[in-house]
Amino acid sequence: MAKSLLSSTSQRWLTRGKKFARAIGDFIYGATIYEMVRDLKKERASLEHLFILIVFGDILGIPVLPPYYTLRLLPYVVPNMSTWRRSMLRERDLTDLCDQDIT
Amino acid sequence: MNAVLTILLSLAGIAVGYGVYAKSLDKNVIQPDDSKATPAKMYMDGVDFTPANRNVLFGYQFKSVAALGPIVGPIVAIRWGWLPALIWIIFGTFFIGWVQDYTSIVIGVREDGQSFGALSYRFISPRARTLLLTFIYFYLLLIMGAFGKIVGYDLMTNPGVPLGVLLVIIIGLIAGQMTYKWKMDIIVTSIITVVLAFVGIWLGTLPGVQSFFATINGGESSPVLFGTVTQAQFIWSLIVLIICYFGATLPIWRWAQPINYVAFWIVFLGILGGTIGLLLWHPAFPADFPAFTNWSGDLCAATDCSGIEKIPGAIGPLWPLLFVTIACGAISGWHSLVSSSGTARQLEKESDALYVGGGAMFLEMFLATLSLLTAVVGVGATKGFAGYVSLVAKGKNAGVFAVGLSEMMSHIGVPTSFGLPYGSVFLTLMALTIMYLVVRFMRVASAEFLGETYPIFKNTTFGTIVALVLSAIVIWTGFWVRVWVLFGAANQLMASLALLLVSVWLASKGKNYLWTFIPFIFMFLTTLAALSMTAYKVFSQVFEGGLAADKLVGNVIAGLIAIYLIIAALVLGWDAMEAFQRAKANAQSEA
Repeated sequence: MAKSLLSSTSQRWLTRGKKFARAIGDFIYGATIYEMVRDLKKERASLEHLFILIVFGDILGIPVLPPYYTLRLLPYVVPNMSTWRRSMLRERDLTDLCDQDIT
Repeated sequence: MNAVLTILLSLAGIAVGYGVYAKSLDKNVIQPDDSKATPAKMYMDGVDFTPANRNVLFGYQFKSVAALGPIVGPIVAIRWGWLPALIWIIFGTFFIGWVQDYTSIVIGVREDGQSFGALSYRFISPRARTLLLTFIYFYLLLIMGAFGKIVGYDLMTNPGVPLGVLLVIIIGLIAGQMTYKWKMDIIVTSIITVVLAFVGIWLGTLPGVQSFFATINGGESSPVLFGTVTQAQFIWSLIVLIICYFGATLPIWRWAQPINYVAFWIVFLGILGGTIGLLLWHPAFPADFPAFTNWSGDLCAATDCSGIEKIPGAIGPLWPLLFVTIACGAISGWHSLVSSSGTARQLEKESDALYVGGGAMFLEMFLATLSLLTAVVGVGATKGFAGYVSLVAKGKNAGVFAVGLSEMMSHIGVPTSFGLPYGSVFLTLMALTIMYLVVRFMRVASAEFLGETYPIFKNTTFGTIVALVLSAIVIWTGFWVRVWVLFGAANQLMASLALLLVSVWLASKGKNYLWTFIPFIFMFLTTLAALSMTAYKVFSQVFEGGLAADKLVGNVIAGLIAIYLIIAALVLGWDAMEAFQRAKANAQSEA
């Protein structure tokens, strides 16, 4: 009885320890690599958005004449279309850039 | 008083502030609802809007908000004694600091992840956004001036520091190459580059290297080149600006990111080593280190300054100047911008807002307390109060931190001959990693304001050079303490405006707004008073005459910036108060 109680207590502490170690790991990841990953994603997204703008700009009223070949690309672009529209039409100013370390 | 007791006091402040005050406001006023979709989930694009684990976000928020402000601010504020500084760090964070950071996240989450520019346009007035943006430009310029002087005048002029800094930058570039081009494992990259960085800092301490840099500086007493600027100050501040040029114009993955990454480890290990050393050492506060000096922050009225060549003048009255001098250690306006445009768009659940926003601010308070201890016990226990005064008199405010940190680290076996340059490299990197991002912002801001009228401002190189020239003028002409006070005041003023915006928002929702409105009034009055005093002081020095030509220019610039900030804040405050009345009336009529 006492042995099982001891083992369940140590088990609980072990789980807590693991959780804590994981939280510390996540914290360090957030303070170091996370922004690098985000920046790379941002760079990729801006290239993708530029591509969609060039090929399907008429969706937003930008008079880019869609050539025949763009229709062949349409199925590949559809999954990103709503994100792209929202991103292109979202109003931005300087304060949108403030999610980087500065003070 | 004992250093460990101070740490315990600060931990108690965190326990009560976060565990009781913050949690009760979170539960009763904001009432987070985890069933509501946050912008991160609603507009998920995997880039700007993307849900992140709360611990990851906590690390991201802390890294984004903690920098040079909470380290240098408390050290400068000791001029009024350690007690007022400690009280403001703890109570400022308790009643105001976390409130601003947390509510900025909440307003971002509840208003579709809009940034502060868009929110001020919507909730206050269209011109509020324009004013806010111009306000930010001057704020950034003041950061460049204050940090540029710390690095170029204080830290890099020490011959044991430059090689370490330059090598860490080169190692950072190698880290970028290893990560992005050679696709090496990040753990291997980290181990190699951090070890190399430590070797680089050690190389900088070798006597041959030090004598080489001393020669560049023009010897022990560096000759004056123009105005009051010495050869060493000119050379190193110019090199700092050149580093900023590369940081602001090269792709972020090539320069800023990898250098920041290597710098993070140096800073992190320094803080860890310093804290462990302090706990092992657990010194009492030195008896000669006054808890309170005097109301005007006049060090020489508190101790004998007869042996000091250049006597440090009084900063001014405790209220309002102490409250802006501590800067980000208790509250910072920049946090609201980061919180609303960055963190709010990545929050997975509404209930994470307090943990991330409030938690990171309380941790920053802890950092500010540690910084205070580096001066009081780190320097005080070995050199006494006179040692602190003598360092401040030489303009070595940041040097105080380096000396204190090296003393703390010596208790875990790190020799002070290495610890001292390590502390200086630590601070230099902290400042540099911010400065080139500031130049980036200034470049974007000038392109946004002036790019349509003068298309040349859209040119990256031109916009960067304009930002650097303006920064150089502030660095080479201003009095550091005045520039620091202006930076702190602009920072806190922005915080007060963020609190006002949140109050308007809370009033429009019919919620209790007093817990944000009262801090707003205190911070608004304090910062306006600090700016007015600074403007009066610098202009009166100009009219009295006797200033060197460079200081004359610096004082005029500082005075004009202070006046602009006051006018902009008053107009913004006026618009916001009108919006506040409207919001209250609307909420009442709806009820």
